Amino acid sequence: MHTIYARINNTSAFLSSCVTALLVAIALSSLAFTADPKGQLAVASIQVHPGNARRYANKKQEFAFVNFNVSAGTHLVMSARAVSHVHACSKPDLSPLFNWNTKQLFLYLSAEYTDKKGVANEVVIWDRIVRRKEDALISTTGRNKYVFRELSASFRNIPPANYSLKYNVMPYVGVLTYGEAARTPQPVAFPELQSLS
Amino acid sequence: MSVVEACPHRLTQSQTLAMQAYLQQVFEGKIDFEGQKKVETLVRTVIIAATIGSFLLGFALQSLRITLGAFSIACVVLYLIVIPPWPMYRRHPVQWLQAKQGKVQ
Amino acid sequence: MFADELKTLRRLGFRHVLLQVLNFMSVLASGFMMWKGLGLVTNTESPIVVVLSGSMEPAFHRGDLLFLTNPLDQRYQAGDITVYKIPGADIPIVHRVLETHDGVTIKKGRIAASRIAHDQLLLTKGDNNYIDDLELYQGLEWLERQHIVGKVRGFLPYVGYVTIAMNDFPQLKYALLGGLGLLALVQRE
Repeated sequence: MHTIYARINNTSAFLSSCVTALLVAIALSSLAFTADPKGQLAVASIQVHPGNARRYANKKQEFAFVNFNVSAGTHLVMSARAVSHVHACSKPDLSPLFNWNTKQLFLYLSAEYTDKKGVANEVVIWDRIVRRKEDALISTTGRNKYVFRELSASFRNIPPANYSLKYNVMPYVGVLTYGEAARTPQPVAFPELQSLS
Repeated sequence: MSVVEACPHRLTQSQTLAMQAYLQQVFEGKIDFEGQKKVETLVRTVIIAATIGSFLLGFALQSLRITLGAFSIACVVLYLIVIPPWPMYRRHPVQWLQAKQGKVQ
Repeated sequence: MFADELKTLRRLGFRHVLLQVLNFMSVLASGFMMWKGLGLVTNTESPIVVVLSGSMEPAFHRGDLLFLTNPLDQRYQAGDITVYKIPGADIPIVHRVLETHDGVTIKKGRIAASRIAHDQLLLTKGDNNYIDDLELYQGLEWLERQHIVGKVRGFLPYVGYVTIAMNDFPQLKYALLGGLGLLALVQRE
């Protein structure tokens, strides 16, 4: 530590180990927050329409269009009556997921179904990025943002699908965590093909 | 020496050497042993205290910005205190013994 | 100033220079070993990657560091952030899984190295892109497990920017390497 160079060198070396320790402590601290907000998800309607596949213009492909209601709340009464009234009475809130180390929430709504051949499918049909705690009150009525199609090109004979709203908590520094905020109470069946009139 | 020829005032060689020595002293910024000890303890205590303190402060206020801000301010202040050879680190120069006469020559 | 260093170099002698070179190389080798060891533990060819593009903004920016794992016995799920490398493309891509279809194989007659998860088709999308990555797949219809480098598990911002800077300004790389080498050579214990 006798010259300036030696002082800069030694101090910076010690500083960098302490910065590392600080970052590790911050990353670990977010594990102490274990909020698990639950909400409601309801599929209002599903329609299946014919169309053309994206790459092959003359290949037929069916597309599903899903309308849904999302409301994520922490203090819901899980009784049958409350569920039916949920859109009117719940205060949707994912803000407990925001702590000092939360950069953003990535919310996504996915459809899960297993077809008769045993192929398990999971398709994200809607997502939203929530960057501020104030915006974490989720209450939307929406339809799918992304195309919802089946591998076999047809939704005929496809078993009913479960829909769930999941979140990915992305930290400023540390580990990415995942969770599920809502799920449809029972699987929702795909309707018959409707032709566009 | 090329340095001498390049100088506009034509410094003598001894002057240049003295200047060089002075510049070297400024750039090296040497401090004495007591000063080194002081710097060592200061660096350790301040950085560890800043790490723990800023973590607790930020955690209490739930703001990462406060943590990083407090930590970096503490570090900048520490560098300003510790890096330059301030007079307080040079108060105990080494007292050399008198050279014994006649022996070495 | 520089002559001084040369003088010390001459004084220390050839064997000392060799020793320092050896030290330098052992540092490099242990770094490489740690990298490869981490790769073995996490089962991925590159356990740490630097984000190069803004297609995952605002989650990941250029220069952010990502830590990957690629567990053999786990399937990928929608919402996972993957790093994948299409054969023929020069850089891996970090994007989020949009669709998974398990239990399908495109090519018949191949045996997977693991019980599960190897007959999975994936479709990905960047958070900052409007549509999925089909255009990036260079003719492939789906991503398969073999294209996946890993799943993003941890995140550290900005730190990787050094490597981006070194790629953008190669002089910086040589200056840094040269400086480090010189320091290692002339440093006394």
